[in-house]
Amino acid sequence: MKASEYLEELADGTVLDRAAAGSGSEVLSSSQRVGVVIIAAVLVVFAPIADATSPFWLNILTRILIFGLLAVSLDFIFGYAGLLSFGHAAMYGTGGYAAAWLISEVTTNALVVLPLSIVVGCGVAAFIGWFSVRARGIYFAMLTLAFAQVFYVVILTDLPAQVLGVETITGADDGLFGIARYGVFGIELGGGLPYFYLTFGLVLASFAVLVRVANSPFGRVLQAIRENEDRVEFIGYNVQRYKLIAFTISGGFAGLAGGLYVPFQSVASPGLLNWTVSGELIVMLLLGGLGTFWGPILGAGVVIFLEEQLAGFATWEIILGTVFVVVVIFAPRGIAGSLETLASDPRAAVERTKEALSSYRESIKR
Amino acid sequence: MIESILRATLLGLQLGVTFALVAAGLTLIFGMMDVINFAHGALYMLGGYFGYTIATQFGSFWAALVLAPIIVGVLGAAMEKFTLRPLYGRNPLYHILLTYGLAVMIQGVVLEVWGASSQQIPRPGQFTGSITVGPVTYPTYWLFVLVVSTVILTVIWYAIENSNLGILMRASAHDTEMVNALGIDVSKVFTGVFVFGAALAALAGVLLGATRSVNPGMGAGIIIEAFVIVVIGGLGSFKGAVYAALLIGLVTAYGALVAPTLTELFLFVLMAVVLLVRPSGLFGATEAA
Repeated sequence: MKASEYLEELADGTVLDRAAAGSGSEVLSSSQRVGVVIIAAVLVVFAPIADATSPFWLNILTRILIFGLLAVSLDFIFGYAGLLSFGHAAMYGTGGYAAAWLISEVTTNALVVLPLSIVVGCGVAAFIGWFSVRARGIYFAMLTLAFAQVFYVVILTDLPAQVLGVETITGADDGLFGIARYGVFGIELGGGLPYFYLTFGLVLASFAVLVRVANSPFGRVLQAIRENEDRVEFIGYNVQRYKLIAFTISGGFAGLAGGLYVPFQSVASPGLLNWTVSGELIVMLLLGGLGTFWGPILGAGVVIFLEEQLAGFATWEIILGTVFVVVVIFAPRGIAGSLETLASDPRAAVERTKEALSSYRESIKR
Repeated sequence: MIESILRATLLGLQLGVTFALVAAGLTLIFGMMDVINFAHGALYMLGGYFGYTIATQFGSFWAALVLAPIIVGVLGAAMEKFTLRPLYGRNPLYHILLTYGLAVMIQGVVLEVWGASSQQIPRPGQFTGSITVGPVTYPTYWLFVLVVSTVILTVIWYAIENSNLGILMRASAHDTEMVNALGIDVSKVFTGVFVFGAALAALAGVLLGATRSVNPGMGAGIIIEAFVIVVIGGLGSFKGAVYAALLIGLVTAYGALVAPTLTELFLFVLMAVVLLVRPSGLFGATEAA
């Protein structure tokens, strides 16, 4: 980075933002880990109660967990390696379709199907990544978007079936429906509670793996690439390969999320791959707090909760949109960032809110 | 065979110039402020709906063509002042979230006010018929759209290249601080460009609302096409956006002849190929950063 660029960044506050985000420090501090464990324990205990009193909420909780996993997989590549993927719907959707096809044609055994969903997610990510990692910034985002839309159209028009001359493979715009839920060793996981525990266990395990990878030397190189790609390359790292591997790992977890979601809803529809899913995912990520790993899950929770709660109102989209706008103007570090400030220094948080309001007034007066 | 190709060519050109109207705003706004405006499709949609209401209430397509862009332009000014301006200088990613939120909001407002059903703007009386040139029959409205859009695009092109305002715009995009230091209020230029882009999108919404339909999904539909165009043309390049829009219009029209279900696939493959060969687009700055 040239000195002038550094000064520019210092002037517009990006350097400070980075310092505040704690770049280079360990992902998930030990107190935050305790928090994660406590929340997990609470969920384990309360799930049966929720199941008995209102299965609806258990259903929502399962969806939040699946989308949380998807959002964390994006946070890994975007928050840590600095690559904004606008194509995560492709890995998510193909993982889901792979699960749907395997369940209806081969087996419902989760130990067979879910690993294959991960493999499919990795494969699609490796394909998209191989073309995209050479581009940077917004061009990377646009390339991933383009390739993801290619997958979307291929599945929407059932191109494989057209090419092979069979009647149907992806079910075109109807999708594949009537997908059974998983079983493991002959035990059916059909009910709400068993499926919740399956999802919960896998999401927690994925979370642990991703935190581990992000804290490993490999993860540190990714953070370095985010901070300054050229410098990392000069030191002698093969930046493209690091980016490709990171993207592939991220895609595997997105595929797993798809493999969990499709039997849960019993439908695989082309809508899973549409760009709006990738867009909504980025919203969850930024709303929750980029680069924190727990923030995106929170973001997924807030978005899904709001959608469910407001769906009754005709105007729910207006409210949801307003929430995004207000958060991005007044709490750019997301909910996680605001909570961190609040926890570390409540008084400063009040001061900051005042400052944010007055600087907002200043900026619109000009 | 030759008739359908000629017909597709005209349809493609007509689509191309209207796409260019939408994409021009998007690329100018990005070039000036580094803002990726996700709400641009929603502004296009608002143009279509305001146009529909004005055209059916007052019975005049022409009133719709003039008033809808003005109303959307005013809304654009408010959007820029109250939501975008506080974010200038921050990471452009925040603009994605912000404008995405605005797009969701506008979508909600449209559903609330106009409902979910699909509408059509009545075409002006003079242009309801069709005209036969040699072996081919064209709807006269296509020709009207083609002429109006081409004239507008030519004027803008000329203005950007030659007028004082165009020079000021390009200078502000090139070096905001320098222009500021020369005593020019750059934030006014920003607002102006945003309003102008919004009005152009609304104009395209009215023009296309009389051939395609006006529906709550049109905003999300066009934004992807417009992104493809802007990226192929090179982010921030007006010239690139116009050429790319014509290319995409023709690909869409010819694609509909060959394989109607796969036209979208052609668009994205085209975009991917262009980005792989020239990472910054056809007319973008040479550095892809």
